[in-house]
Amino acid sequence: MSWVQVAVRQSNEDIFDEDADEMCLLQKEWNSTMKKRLKEGYRDGIEAGKELALQTGFNQGYRHGAKLMITCGQFKGILNALLSWCHLNGHDSALSTINNLLDVVRKHEDDMLKYLNSTGEQPHLGHILASVQDMDLNHTAGTDYREVKDGKHEDYGSSGENICRNNGEVGSLQSECSKANLFTDPEKSTLAWVKKQTVLLVEQLGLSLDILHHVQQLEH
Amino acid sequence: MADLFDGIVMAEQRFHGEGYQEGLAEGSHAGMAEGRRYGALHGARMGSEIGCCLGFALTWHCLLQKCTEEKNSKKIRALDSLIGMIQKFPYEDPTYDKLQEDLEKIRGKFKQVCSMLNIQSDFRIDNERSSLTF
Repeated sequence: MSWVQVAVRQSNEDIFDEDADEMCLLQKEWNSTMKKRLKEGYRDGIEAGKELALQTGFNQGYRHGAKLMITCGQFKGILNALLSWCHLNGHDSALSTINNLLDVVRKHEDDMLKYLNSTGEQPHLGHILASVQDMDLNHTAGTDYREVKDGKHEDYGSSGENICRNNGEVGSLQSECSKANLFTDPEKSTLAWVKKQTVLLVEQLGLSLDILHHVQQLEH
Repeated sequence: MADLFDGIVMAEQRFHGEGYQEGLAEGSHAGMAEGRRYGALHGARMGSEIGCCLGFALTWHCLLQKCTEEKNSKKIRALDSLIGMIQKFPYEDPTYDKLQEDLEKIRGKFKQVCSMLNIQSDFRIDNERSSLTF
């Protein structure tokens, strides 16, 4: 009957082992339950925190973004109005200059949007300066602001337009603008430069000083 | 037995609470950043569009001042009305309940003004360019 003893012993051992396993299992189960509670709490907390902060953050960001972009938008509007006015009144020679300025404003707007999209933080001068410095400015070496500006004035006066020349100028106009960014207050200089160019443009077109006043009033 | 049960429930609550606090702090931080980012883009879109309308309307208003034709006074009145609508519009306030409604009215007026000024659609399209969509 030794097989019975073996069986009993084995079953006893089994029972004993099961007990040990069970203690271990209970401990494990307790640990995993608590871990689960901790994780559940963490998940609930994250949800609640997000829900609480999302609207506040949205409102803050919205106000900031709207105020940041209103001036940029106004420049676009002014330039679009001048563009349509020149178009309707046969001042075709000014169209390319206005389009170039519009390109600069749009580029600036795109940069601002990219910046806003990349971070939830408030814009920081250092960051903008760094992004401006990342731009490749080497190809503008040799031209200076004065030259480009004078070039533009010439184009304007002559009724026969050289399209190639104008296309070439878009690039230098924009890089001159970026260059201006580097040497003055980086946040303000693009629009300040556009403003200066717009004032020149309005003078060139012989338009009323009211518009100049309107342009000069734009603070940014 | 009841005490043991209470103990278990309390422990579970304590662990849940600890996790919750930790999650709440992180969630708030993440929610704030995410909200700000979305908000900034929406606000920027609004600021750009409203600024563009305003700059456009004010400039055309100036451009038409010189002329005294009857036709122009009608245009000037339309521009006055558009400028008035924009200046009253709290574009920077996301809690304003008629934000979208008023924006649509301004857009409608803007289109009306453009057609009165005989401005082709490509100039108009330019104001609503896709650079603002992500």
